[in-house]
Amino acid sequence: MALLLDVKDLHVGFKIFEGYLSVLNGVELTLGEGERVGLVGETGCGKTTTVKSILRVLPMPPARIAGGEIFYRNKDILKMKRREIQTLRRAELTAIFQDPLMSLNPVFTVGTQLRDIVKDSLGTSGKKLTKKQITTRCIEALKETGMPDPERIMSNYPIQLSGGMRQRVCIAEALSTTAQLLLADEPTTNLDVTIQDQILRKLDELVDEKNVSVLIITHSLGVVMDLTQRLYIMYAGTMVEEGKTEELFARPLHPYSQGLMKSVPKLTGEGISDGIPGRIPNYLDPPAGCRFEPRCKHAMPICQTEKPPLFNVENGRHVACFLYRS
Amino acid sequence: MSDTILAVDNLKKYFPTKRGTVKAVDNISFSVATGETIGLVGESGSGKTTTAQCVIGIYPPTDGEILFKGQTISEAFSKRSKALKRDIRIVFQDPGSSLNPKRSIKQILSVPLNVHRMTTNKDHLVMIKNLLDMVELPADEYMYKYPQAIGGGEKQMVAIARALATNPSMVLLDEPTSALDVSVQGKIINLLMRLGKELDLTYLFITHDLSLMRNVASRVAIMYLGKLCEIAPTVEFFQNPTHPYTKMLLSSIPVVSVEEKALKPTKITSRGEIPSPVNVPPGCSFHSRCPEKMDICTQIDPTMVEIGEGHVTRCHLYQGTKVAASIEQEEGVHAQDPVDQSNSNS
Amino acid sequence: MREQLKADLLATLKQKRRGFAKGWYKFSRNPISVLGLVVLILIVLAAILAPYITPYPGHAKPYTNFKNAGSPPSATHFFGTDRVGRDIFSRVIFGYRFSLMIGVVVLSLGVAPGVILGLIAGYYQGTWIETVIMRITDIFLAVPPLVLALAITAMLTPNLTNQMMAIALVWWPWYSRLVFALASSLRNEYFVREAELTGASKLHIMFKEILPNCLAPVMTKITLDMGIVILLGATLSFIGLGVQPPKPGLGTMVAEGAKRLPGEWWGTIFPALAIVVVILAFNLVGDGLRDVFAVEEV
Repeated sequence: MALLLDVKDLHVGFKIFEGYLSVLNGVELTLGEGERVGLVGETGCGKTTTVKSILRVLPMPPARIAGGEIFYRNKDILKMKRREIQTLRRAELTAIFQDPLMSLNPVFTVGTQLRDIVKDSLGTSGKKLTKKQITTRCIEALKETGMPDPERIMSNYPIQLSGGMRQRVCIAEALSTTAQLLLADEPTTNLDVTIQDQILRKLDELVDEKNVSVLIITHSLGVVMDLTQRLYIMYAGTMVEEGKTEELFARPLHPYSQGLMKSVPKLTGEGISDGIPGRIPNYLDPPAGCRFEPRCKHAMPICQTEKPPLFNVENGRHVACFLYRS
Repeated sequence: MSDTILAVDNLKKYFPTKRGTVKAVDNISFSVATGETIGLVGESGSGKTTTAQCVIGIYPPTDGEILFKGQTISEAFSKRSKALKRDIRIVFQDPGSSLNPKRSIKQILSVPLNVHRMTTNKDHLVMIKNLLDMVELPADEYMYKYPQAIGGGEKQMVAIARALATNPSMVLLDEPTSALDVSVQGKIINLLMRLGKELDLTYLFITHDLSLMRNVASRVAIMYLGKLCEIAPTVEFFQNPTHPYTKMLLSSIPVVSVEEKALKPTKITSRGEIPSPVNVPPGCSFHSRCPEKMDICTQIDPTMVEIGEGHVTRCHLYQGTKVAASIEQEEGVHAQDPVDQSNSNS
Repeated sequence: MREQLKADLLATLKQKRRGFAKGWYKFSRNPISVLGLVVLILIVLAAILAPYITPYPGHAKPYTNFKNAGSPPSATHFFGTDRVGRDIFSRVIFGYRFSLMIGVVVLSLGVAPGVILGLIAGYYQGTWIETVIMRITDIFLAVPPLVLALAITAMLTPNLTNQMMAIALVWWPWYSRLVFALASSLRNEYFVREAELTGASKLHIMFKEILPNCLAPVMTKITLDMGIVILLGATLSFIGLGVQPPKPGLGTMVAEGAKRLPGEWWGTIFPALAIVVVILAFNLVGDGLRDVFAVEEV
């Protein structure tokens, strides 16, 4: 399986007046062709920073790439020039974000925005289509996302649509391009749970049909369970665990993953655990060794001084914890 | 049997707007027993928040009655007595905006204490320390901090301390942990439950998270577009959901284990969009999405029917079972009255 | 218990000091604003100590020395002398007294009523109270400030006191509108709602919950307004409706010296530059303050 995305040892920080926020501390991530990978982490863990780094949309004055590489099909995104990145964004990478109201331009109709994107992406593949063909293609794309009454929606403004519909428009926009890699940053967090379920199932179908690789970023474990094959758990700027989704859920190894799984209220009704004590570290002065150490029940002396690398536990399973140093 | 502390009778709250009347709450009835935690669950437009707002007095009801400890309280807070304001309290969803960013924790906690003259000058500080101790926040450190300096979970704990500062009987919790990370949520929920037992509090717990409800509530009530769909004791609710919307909701929950997956209903999956509350479909408001829709559903709105111990549901599929029996019992008076909940318990 | 209260007071003060230190950090990130602050402090000190630090303090009072009249800037007279022989430098320093006083008095008189009215209108948003207050505000805002101030000063005797009152009368509506906008949106915040539901009095809510959140923009505006008020005062003096000669108002001096342009340029240019410098200083400080109060996001 060809490697589409390969993030190697990414270090990203932000210079603010109080000092330097050392957010991403050696992020490692791979995504192969046709794969569906989840990235789970809580508020402040750096997952959005990671996505923005991949898309190269970080505001560069406060942000600084302090090290590492992001390879897309073996070419380092971080070293690409402006024009290369733009081509990449038009033809290969696409994204959907948490708040569709912010991703859609409020003063243009859905039709106008969708047509723009379809026209642009078809332009890269060299085809010239008439206005009618483009519109038909747009309506098709909307239908594919399960949008009711797509013809009417084309002439609506984003503000007139419900949250679920807006997200469907964003998905239509994202998937009507020739893109091979979809980055979905909290795509359903703002939606009602019944709508979320529909959208996720639809996304599942579409991604299968179009053979697009997906990286789903979310704080909700439940969302990634069905949708992904492989999963990363992120904490305070590093990957702490990686593995096949099923296996990870069945047997989380990293103390943070274990705490996280335990914290989720279960339908089986066994009560709610007290969560994980403590807070995420202060990025201005993060711990020198393992960043989870201050909150960890199993902390050992070495955890304070050295940062644990991702140890290979078994086939495809990696855990960044000295408990598993073999 | 516990007493009924809160009874909501045929509550309606309509908001007239330019595009039509928003029927946020449309004729709901339920009651809450002292000491229980009732979960009010629903999605956008369900009316769960508006219901809580009517109970706490942010809005006066358009119609219907709210009875607290036997007294009518169906009016806006400006007309309510101070004693009432002390007795029912609320914790809001967004900790970021429920604490005044320009006031210190000490000042924030002083407000309810001062308004209700709960302390003398001598023990004012002691009282504040006690409140912070109660929510397990180190008092000396936190008293002088400002909200921006503490985390979301801690802010919510301050909000809880503030709500409990007046020794209330009932606390409304409007999605208290929805804005928080799951690793922080547990501590707060467990704190609420523990304090609830210690102080004999009744909770009206509003959320959209059914997995949370499963572990917290003694009874669950589901709302859709301003109406109640189903009310049942928690275990019964999850084992034997009857209303199609309930089943749809349950089947949509994202779960993290195979055991939980097995508990979800599989035959009904979510479909359709939630209609706007300005444009509620006629008959049963859920019919536009219901996979078990019958002809009668598009014309007549079903009434609440009891189908088990403390378990009521509002669906034509179950109308036949009890309506006939009730009609016989009440000699020709059509069984439109809401079922009395005062005898039901967890 | 007394130790408890003392400890409480100390802790509160410590927190306030920390807040101030943080504010200063943010302010000092802008070297230009710091420059403005330094210049401002120098001007204020100079104005306060004018009788002691100026070379010819007597020249601020009626004084003539026609032998020395109209001499260009020199070592003995930094800014030269005017047409009756007075040292312009000393008079400029004394002139700052008037300018600063105008600013302080006008804003003291105008800000408080404006803020309070805006606060009340914002809290009672949607009721007749708001309508009455804001329509009165609108009426005052519809008239250009200079014209209104002119009209009032012309009606009464033109002097410094009347000038200040006239400008104050014209100034309050800006604050009313600013605070109204802030207060009416804050009114619907959860923490205000909470206080209402608890049963806090309306006064408490307006002054203890809403007002603290309005102070930052108001303070920034006051700083920036100082410059405009000073300019307005100088303009009125220039026309002859403010500080009357022989008092050394900056605007008055510009008017007197203007008759001698372009030959004896120092009579007009230096007072004019003095006005520019003080306004600039206030503006730079105001900009810095805006950064201090800005909510930071990473």
